[in-house]
Amino acid sequence: MSSAVPFHDQVIAILPKLRVQALALTRNRAAAEDLVQDAVCNALSAQDSFIPGTNFAAWMHRILRNRFISNLRKRRDTTDIDDVPSSVFATDASHEDRLALKELGAAMTRLPTDQREALVMVVVHGMSYEALADATGCAVGTAKSRVFRARRQLEAWLVGEVPGRDAPRLGRLADRKAEAKPSSGPASSL
Amino acid sequence: MSQRKDKPVPLTPPRDEQAEAAFSLWLQRGLHKLFDEVANEPIPEELLKIIEEDRRK
Repeated sequence: MSSAVPFHDQVIAILPKLRVQALALTRNRAAAEDLVQDAVCNALSAQDSFIPGTNFAAWMHRILRNRFISNLRKRRDTTDIDDVPSSVFATDASHEDRLALKELGAAMTRLPTDQREALVMVVVHGMSYEALADATGCAVGTAKSRVFRARRQLEAWLVGEVPGRDAPRLGRLADRKAEAKPSSGPASSL
Repeated sequence: MSQRKDKPVPLTPPRDEQAEAAFSLWLQRGLHKLFDEVANEPIPEELLKIIEEDRRK
């Protein structure tokens, strides 16, 4: 059980997930690293307030989230860039796959922060809606709704079925993929 | 049995469901590609040092 694991070991163990959450929130790798470090420092300072046997992951994710919000209030600069590591796009994936991944990265940056965070925590971390609600301090229904709306918005942008401000640009992805791969693979879903 | 055989069971999911499932799978793979590398990077020494120093307090 996590309560038997020393506090500092729990902090180290959750660092990869904190990084992912931080990147989802900040959209910037350097800012994400800073945010994780700040959150860890906050957690270390507040370790006496953690009740052993309670949900450590949720406690830690909330600290990071609160720190992000607090930083945002101080400094309202959001980098509107696709800050996905370039190596992701330099894999042996096909040209079409790389383009699709790049489009996905760009679309992710345009999602509202709470939706982007929720989607990543559920899809990448495999977190339950209950755990997400606990980690982000919202109702389970709100957590579900955030994931649902994020997913629908991405689908609308990337598939281009729902007309919107950005749909025409991103909708080209569907056209390109349809031209390149008329009938096979995941691309056909786009 | 109160349920009657008036509701045919579809052999394949409707097209919309198939598209939804395909998009979900694609999205899952894409998000993993975008975020897994970040999660798997080594932890910065400085951060580990902060944690270990606090542990020794």
